[in-house]
Amino acid sequence: MSARNYRPLQMHRIAYSDLTEAQVSQALRAAASGPTSKSPLSSALAGKRLKIVTDDGGPTLEYNFRSARELELSEKGGKAAKCGYGALQDRNLVLVSHMIPGTQRGYTLVVDQQSALATVFEVYFSGYAAQEKAAAAAAKRAPQFKNGQRNREVQRKIWFGYVEGSGAVPTARHTYTNRLEGKGIYWEQDNDIEILEFYLTILYSNFIELTRFGGEMTIAAPSDYIMVNDHQFIYSRIECEFTGTCTLQIIDLFDLTQKGVRLGLTEKDELEYYLYSGKGELTGQIATFEVFGNNSLTREGPRRVYRPIETFDVMTDEQVEDQVLNHAVTFGDGMHTGAASMGGYKGELITRFVGKQLTVRMDNGPAIEYDFADAKHLKWRYAGDSQWREARYEMYEPDDELYFFAHLLDAEFPRSCALVAVDMKNGLATLVKGTTGTPFRNNETHPTYYFGVFHTEGGPTPPTYIRHGWTDEMVGKAVTWNYQPGNPGLTSMHFYAAPHTYSWIIFQPDGSGGLQWSSPGWYSKVRDGVYIMSWVEEACNGTLGVILFNERLMHDAGFGFHVGPSGLSLSAIGARARHAGTFDIKKYLGVKT
Amino acid sequence: MSEKTMNSSRRAFFLRGGAALGTGVVATVGASAAPAEKRTPLEEQLSDLRRELQEAQDRTAIRQLHLDFAALIEQQDYERAAQLFAERGDLDLSGERAQGRSAIQQLFERKYRDQTASVIHSAYRQNASHQSNDVLQITAGQARATFHVDAQLSTPLQEDCTAAKMARLQGQVADRRWQAGRLEGQYVKRGGEWKIASLKYLAA
Repeated sequence: MSARNYRPLQMHRIAYSDLTEAQVSQALRAAASGPTSKSPLSSALAGKRLKIVTDDGGPTLEYNFRSARELELSEKGGKAAKCGYGALQDRNLVLVSHMIPGTQRGYTLVVDQQSALATVFEVYFSGYAAQEKAAAAAAKRAPQFKNGQRNREVQRKIWFGYVEGSGAVPTARHTYTNRLEGKGIYWEQDNDIEILEFYLTILYSNFIELTRFGGEMTIAAPSDYIMVNDHQFIYSRIECEFTGTCTLQIIDLFDLTQKGVRLGLTEKDELEYYLYSGKGELTGQIATFEVFGNNSLTREGPRRVYRPIETFDVMTDEQVEDQVLNHAVTFGDGMHTGAASMGGYKGELITRFVGKQLTVRMDNGPAIEYDFADAKHLKWRYAGDSQWREARYEMYEPDDELYFFAHLLDAEFPRSCALVAVDMKNGLATLVKGTTGTPFRNNETHPTYYFGVFHTEGGPTPPTYIRHGWTDEMVGKAVTWNYQPGNPGLTSMHFYAAPHTYSWIIFQPDGSGGLQWSSPGWYSKVRDGVYIMSWVEEACNGTLGVILFNERLMHDAGFGFHVGPSGLSLSAIGARARHAGTFDIKKYLGVKT
Repeated sequence: MSEKTMNSSRRAFFLRGGAALGTGVVATVGASAAPAEKRTPLEEQLSDLRRELQEAQDRTAIRQLHLDFAALIEQQDYERAAQLFAERGDLDLSGERAQGRSAIQQLFERKYRDQTASVIHSAYRQNASHQSNDVLQITAGQARATFHVDAQLSTPLQEDCTAAKMARLQGQVADRRWQAGRLEGQYVKRGGEWKIASLKYLAA
C-alpha cells in the first residue's frame, strides 16, 4: 500500500494554482530527460529510426532512437531535437513518451511493430485558454472558463497514422471506439498505486484511487478510447478541473496488464512524469445503450469537457441569505421549481396522515411533531415547543406502508429542510436534514442523517434497538434513471461507486455514455432492496438530492434541495430505473483490516 | 406560369421534371412571342431551348435551396441558414416565427441554439409517401413550392438541474420525434440568385 503525501483535501476542494507559462516552463525542465519508471524501460526501439506519418494534417515525426533513453526528433523535416524518453512494451505495442526540451510540448506514441500503425498523442501545456476562446467563438457560445489561464492543464491532439517503411502504406488505422464502454478494472501499479477505473462512457471515465484517503471519492475525467485490436486499447484521461494531469495507457485485456505514462503538475505544482506498468483484475461489465452496430469509430468535433467547478455560481453570504430567506420555493409554489424536472414520474400525493398527528424521534437528534392539515400543508414543531410552524409538504409511498415526505424548516440562515421516511411496518423513521452551506461554499448544501422511530395513532410500537442504517449494498451498482416522459426525456445513469461517493453519466443522443461527473454520496438501508441514497453536487451546483429507491419497483421517490442565484428550492424527484449492471468492487473499498 | 408534379426521386426530378416543366413554359411563352418577332424556326428553337435551360436551372436552384436549408438546420449552422432568406423573408416553423432576415437569424440564435424554443426543427427527410405530390411553380423571378417532408421535432430540455445542463451540452433534448408535414415556400430571384421569401412548415 502506498503512503503518498497528498494535501489533506479532496481533489474538488483544492484551489489549484493558476500557473503562468513561465512557471509551467520552470516546472517542466526536469521533463527534458524523459519520464522515470519503476519497471525496466523497453529498448525495443533503441538504435532504430522511425518516420511516423499521420493523417489529417497531423505531424510527420522522424525519430532516431539513439538509445533506450535518448532520441532525436525532427518534425516535418525540421532540425532534430535531442530528447530524453522512456518506452514500455506490451506485446507488439511500444509506448513512447517524451517532451521536447525548451518547450511545453511533447509526444506520446503507441507504435504497433506488427501492423506499422501508430497513434500519436501530441501533448502540451498552456494551450487551454486560447483554444477554448476560439472554440467558443466558432460555436457562438460563452467560453467555459471565467478566470485564469489553466496553463497547467495538459492538452492533447490525437493523430492516427503509420510508420513509413519499404512496403505499401497501410490503409488501416487505430480508431476511436466504444469497445471499452461499461468495463471496470482494478489496477495495481508498479509504483504501489492501486486504482479502480471505470470506463462508463465514450467521452469520460471515473476512477477511485484506493491509495488516496482510502478511496473514499471517485473522480470523473474526460477520456479518450482508442482501439488497436480486440484486446489492446489506448485509454487516456485528463484530470480537467483538478491538476490537469494526463494519464495515458495501453490496456491489454488478454492478460489484464497496463503500460502507461502520467504527465502533469501535481496539486503541489511539482512535475509528475513517469511510466508505469500494472496488473489488473476485471471488476465487471455493465450494459451499454447504443444501437447494435454503433461502434463509435468516429468523433465529430472536439471532445466535450464538463467544467462545473469553473461555471459554478459563486455567491456571497449576503446573496445566499437573501435567497434562502426571501426567495424560497417549495414544490413549485412560485416561479422557480429547482429540480422539478426530475419529478416527471413522481407518484400520487399521499393523504394517509391528513388530520392526524405524528412524532418522529431521532436517536441523538431532533424530535419533531407533525399535524397534517391537508395533502400539501402541515404544521410542525420541535417536541417541547409550544409554537406550531406551517409548511408546505409533499408525501409519497415508495414502498408498501413506507412514506417519504419533505418540508422546509425555519426561515433562518443557513436554512434547512427535513426529509422524513416513516416505515409503518417496522416503526422506524429516518430523517435527512438538508442544510445550506458547507465550509467551502455557502450556496452548496449538506445532509445530516438521523435514524430513529416515530409515534402515531394506530402506528406500530417502535423497536428499541433496530434502526434503519448505513449500508454498502448499493455499492457497485449502475442504474439508469428516466426522470420524465419523452424520447429520451431527461435521463441519466447513477453509478454507486463506493460507500461515500457516486458518479452520474448523461447519455448522448445516440445512446452512448457522454459527460460524467461525481460527488460524495450517502447510502442507508430501509428495507431489503429499499434504500435512501443521497448526494451533494459539491463544486458543481451544490444541490442535495435524496431518493428513496425501491429496487423491486425500480422506481424512487425523493427530493431536491438547492440554493442558487434563482432562489432556494425544495422539489420532488420521481423517476423510473433500469438496472445497468454491477461491479464487484466492495472488496477493494472500505476500512482496511 | 407552369406547374408540374415532381417525380419520386430527386435525381428523376432533376432529369425529367425539370425538362417537362421547361416544355410547358416554352409552349406558353413561345405562342405569345411569335406574332411580335419574325424569327426563323432555328432561332425559335434556340430561344425555346434557352428558356428550357433557364427553367431547369431555376428549378434546380430552388430545389438546392431547399436542400441547403434542410442540411444547415440539421448541422445547426443557423447563421448560414438565415442567409438563405431574402432581406424581408419570413419564417414559421411550428409556431416559431420571424420576419426579416435579421429576425430569422435572431430566432435561430436565441431560440434554436440556446434551446429556448418550445419546439425545434432538427432535421428533415424527404417524405417518400408524399414526394410525388411536391409542387414547384415558377413565374418570372418568383416561385412557390411545396416540399413534403418528415420533420424531426425536438423539444428542448428547459430545466436548470445539473443533469439537464449536461444533457443540453451534448445536444440532448426532452423529446425527439418525427412528424409528417410539408414546407410551403415562396422564393424570389435577386441578382440572379434565388432566396427564400417565405417558408412555413405545416403538419400533415
